[in-house]
Amino acid sequence: MGTMHIDGHEIPFQENDNILKAALAANIEIPYFCYHAALGSLGACRLCAVEIAPEDPNKKPRVVMSCLEPAKDGINVSVSAAAARQVRQTVIEFLMVNHPHDCPVCDEGGECRLQDMTVACGPPYRRYRGRKRTFTNQYLGPLVHHEMNRCITCYRCTRFYQDYALGDDLGAMRLRNEVYFGRFQEGPLTSPFAGNVIEVCPTGVFTDAVFRQHFARVWDLETAPSICPHCSVGCNTLPGARDGTLRRVCNRFHPEINRWFICDRGRYGHQYSEHPDRPLTAQVSGVKVSYREALAAAAEQIKAARDRTGGLGSTREDLESNAILQTLLNKLSGRFATFSDPQLETATTAAVAALQSSGGAPSLSEIEQADAALVVGDLTTHAPMMDLALRQAYRTGAKLAILHSGPSLLTRFAATTLTVAPHEIGAHLLHLNEQAATASTTSNKHENEKKLADIATYLTTAQRPILIGVSETMAAPEITALAQLANALGSRARLAYALPGANAYGTALLTPTNSTTAMLEAIESGQIQTLIVMGNDPLGDTRLGARWREARQCLSTFIVSDCVATATAEAADILLPVAAWTERGGTFVNYEGRAQGFAPVFQRAEPLPNTAEVLADLAHCLELALPDAAAVLSNIFPGYQAPLPGTLGSSLSAFPLTMQTETPIGSAPLGHPGHWQVTLASWYGDDVLASYAPALVELAPPAAALIHPTAALKERIEDKEQVRLRGPAGTVVLSVQLNNDVAADTIALARVTLAQLGVGHGDLLELERIS
Amino acid sequence: MNDESNRQALQEDLAQLPATDPQRRAAIVPMMQSLQAERGYLDDKSIKEVAQVTGLSTTEVEELATFYSLIYRYPAGRHVLRVCDSLCCGLRGADRLLQAAEKYSGVSLGKVSPDGAFSVLPSICLGLCDQAPAALLDGEAVGSLDEAALQALLQRLQQED
Ligand code: SF4
Ligand code: SF4
Ligand code: FES
Ligand code: FES
Repeated sequence: MGTMHIDGHEIPFQENDNILKAALAANIEIPYFCYHAALGSLGACRLCAVEIAPEDPNKKPRVVMSCLEPAKDGINVSVSAAAARQVRQTVIEFLMVNHPHDCPVCDEGGECRLQDMTVACGPPYRRYRGRKRTFTNQYLGPLVHHEMNRCITCYRCTRFYQDYALGDDLGAMRLRNEVYFGRFQEGPLTSPFAGNVIEVCPTGVFTDAVFRQHFARVWDLETAPSICPHCSVGCNTLPGARDGTLRRVCNRFHPEINRWFICDRGRYGHQYSEHPDRPLTAQVSGVKVSYREALAAAAEQIKAARDRTGGLGSTREDLESNAILQTLLNKLSGRFATFSDPQLETATTAAVAALQSSGGAPSLSEIEQADAALVVGDLTTHAPMMDLALRQAYRTGAKLAILHSGPSLLTRFAATTLTVAPHEIGAHLLHLNEQAATASTTSNKHENEKKLADIATYLTTAQRPILIGVSETMAAPEITALAQLANALGSRARLAYALPGANAYGTALLTPTNSTTAMLEAIESGQIQTLIVMGNDPLGDTRLGARWREARQCLSTFIVSDCVATATAEAADILLPVAAWTERGGTFVNYEGRAQGFAPVFQRAEPLPNTAEVLADLAHCLELALPDAAAVLSNIFPGYQAPLPGTLGSSLSAFPLTMQTETPIGSAPLGHPGHWQVTLASWYGDDVLASYAPALVELAPPAAALIHPTAALKERIEDKEQVRLRGPAGTVVLSVQLNNDVAADTIALARVTLAQLGVGHGDLLELERIS
Repeated sequence: MNDESNRQALQEDLAQLPATDPQRRAAIVPMMQSLQAERGYLDDKSIKEVAQVTGLSTTEVEELATFYSLIYRYPAGRHVLRVCDSLCCGLRGADRLLQAAEKYSGVSLGKVSPDGAFSVLPSICLGLCDQAPAALLDGEAVGSLDEAALQALLQRLQQED
C-alpha cells in the first residue's frame, strides 16, 4: 500500500500496518517483546524504539515505539540510530533490574526472547546491586509451570489467555512493579488452550511442566515438521526429541490452519508415546518374540486363510497405511474396512461426500472471518482449534448458535443455544432448513421455535455464515441435513465437519460402502478367519465393543498393529508394535481435505517399523508384489504427489464419494419411563492417543452421570445421588451431577462409561435409583 | 447471616446503585467499597461473592481488587497511614519516612498493630507532589513530612485513640 525507508532500505507496508509489523514482514529485525502478530500492539515493553527523521528539517528526530507508530509513505525510520539504541538498552537494563541472572538453570534458556534481546540490545554489564523483587509462584496444574520472578510485564500471557482464547482464570493482578500474572487461587488452568502461554511468554515465567520432567536444552532437541495426530484439524507441530525419547511438542506456524497456536491435547497428548504400557515388542500368543518371528507367524496364518483374511484400517492411521492395507487385501481377495462402528462410517463418509460437493471446508483462518456460525455438537472436544477459530469470530461480533445435547464449552459465547436430546437434532435441522427458506417471523412461538427463528436470521442475514457439524455425534441424515442447510444458504455459506480422527477424511475416501457391517457379518459367519487390525480399537468401541469382542472369538487369528495398548492390542494373537507418529513419516488428510505430510522426528534406540513398512514386510513374507505407497496412492488419487513435510499441504483430487444408503430423519422415538437418551460428555483431552498421556489425563473430569436439573427434579433424582445405569454391555454405578448444558430426557456420559455400558451417542439407557 | 442472605443483601445493594451504571459489572467498585466498609477488607470469600453478584469472573474481580490501592485484600488497622513512595516523594526521602513510620508505630509495612489500631502502607502518587514527601493519614493529606513531623503525627494519633 505504501513504502517507507528503514535504515536506507525500501520497505513496503499494507494499510493499517505499524512500523514494526511491516518491518518484520520484510525480515527487518526490530527488537520487541510485547507485540505479537496474533495479539497486536500494546506498547507495554518499550523495547521496539526506533527513530523517525523529521519531515521538517528544522525539527529534531524523534524516538517512537515502532509497534504503535503507523507506517506512513516516505517516512525515514532508523533502527540503528544511537538514540533508539540507547532507549532499548535502558529498557533492557531496567527489565534486568528485577530479573534473576540465572539463565543457565532456567527452563527457557536457549529459546528465551529476553535472553536474546539482552544480548542484542542490553548493556554488557550490570550496574544494579540492590535487592531484587521476588514473587511466590503458583501451582497451575500438571501442564504449565510458573516462575513469576522472570516476568517482564509484557501482558502477552493474559492477552492470549483472556482476550484471544477467552479464558477466565489467568489474570494480571496488583499494580506498580508488583504486577502478578497468575490465578485467583492456585489450581490447574482450565482453558483447553492454556499451554500456549508457554510459547507466547517471551521469558521463562510459563514453561512446559511435562517437558520439565524430562528436560533437554533446546539446542539438543531433534526436531522435524510434524502434524498433530489428535484430531482432524491437522495442526502443524514441531516435536522435539532427545536420546531416543520424545520430550515435547510445540506449535509450527501454518498460515491457514493453526497459525501461532495449538491446543493442549496437541501439545501434551504426545506422552502416549512414552507410556510405560506402550507395546514395544512383538508378541505371538502373549509371548514376546522378534519382529521377524511375529511377521512369519502372521504370514503363515494369512497364507492359510487367503481370501478369508480381513483388514481393518483406521481414521487415525495415515493415508499410506490405509491404502496399502487395502491393496494387500485386494491381492488376497480379502475384505477391507476402516471403521469399527457402521454408524460412524456412514456419518463420516456422508460428511466427506457433503464437503466434496460443497466445494470444501473453510480453513481455520476463514472460520475466524465468519460473521455467523451454527455449531452442531460439542466442537471444543472434537476439534479444539476449530473452537479457538470460532472464538476469534465471536470476538469480532459473529453470532454463534449451538445446537447440542450435552456439555459444550462454546455455549458460553453463543448468542443462541438450543439444547435438545440427540434424537431431536435431526428434526431441528430440518426445521431450520424450512425457517431459512421461508424466513418467516411468526410471533407467539414455542421457545425452541423462537430460537430456531433467531438462528435462521443470523444465518440468512450473514455475509459469511459457517456451519460446523461434529460428525462423531451426528447420524448420516443429520450430516446431510446440515449440508442441505448450507446449500440453501447459498454460496456465501461454508460447511465444515469435525471428523473422528486425524486422517478421517483420507480414510473415508478409501472406505468401501457399508464395509463395517459387511466385515462384522463376515467375521460372525466365519467367512473371515484372520483379521488384521491396524491402529484401530474395535474391541474398545463404545457402542459395538461387545459385538466385536464376541466376533473376535470367531476368528482363528487376530493380528493387531498399534502404538498404544488398546483393548484390541491386548486381545491380539499376533501383536506388531509400530512407530508412534513422531517416529515416522506419512500423510494425514485433515477436515478440509488437505493432505499434509509429516516427517520422522527421531529414532528410538530400538526403532519400530511404521505401519506401511509392516504391511510391506508382510507382503514380502507372503511373496506378494506390493507396490510402494506412492504408486498405490497415485493409482487411487489421479496425479497424487506426496505432500512434503513442512509445506502447506495440498488438496487431494479424489473421486466424489457416493452417499451411502441412508434412512431419512424420522420422528424421535417416544421416551419411555426409565429410559434416557445418551449423549457423549467429552472433554478437550479426549482422544484415543491422548488418553495415554498421564499429565493431560490428570485433568479429565471424573466420571459422572450428567443430568439437567429439571429432568432430575422430574425423576426425583438428587445431585450427587448414586444411580445404576444399565446398557447392553454392562451396568455402571455413578453419581449424578446436575448440569444445565444437558438436554431433557438425556444423560451425558464420558466415553469410558459408554464403552462399559455398550452404548453410543443417541442410544437408549436404563437408569435406576439406588435407594 | 448465612451465605444466601448475605448475597441477597449484596444484590439489594446493587439494586440501589445509580441508574447510570451501564451494566452489572460496572458495579464492581462500589460493591467492593461497600463490602470493605462492612468487613474492613475483602477476603477470598468476598471476592467470590462480588464475582457472583457482578457477573465477573473471580479473576477479573481479583485483578480489580488488587489494582485499586484503596481496596484491601488483607486486614488493615483502624488507622491507616499511606506514605507515598512514587517519584517526587521518593526523591525527597520517602524511604526514610517509611522506615520511620515502622519504627515509631512498631508495626511493619502492610501489617496491623496487635491492638488492631494501626497500619502503614506504601502508596502510589497521591497527587501531593508539591508537598513531597507526602502521606495520607486516614484519608487526610499531610505534606512536607519529615521524621519529626511524622513522629508528632503518630503520637497525636495514639493519644487521641
Ligand atoms: S508472564 Fe510472561 S507473558 Fe505474562 S506478562 Fe510476564 S513476561 Fe509477559
Ligand atoms: S486442534 Fe486437533 S490437530 Fe490441532 S493441536 Fe488440537 S488436537 Fe491437534
Ligand atoms: S513491542 Fe512495542 S512497546 Fe512492546
Ligand atoms: S510522588 Fe508522592 S504525591 Fe506524587
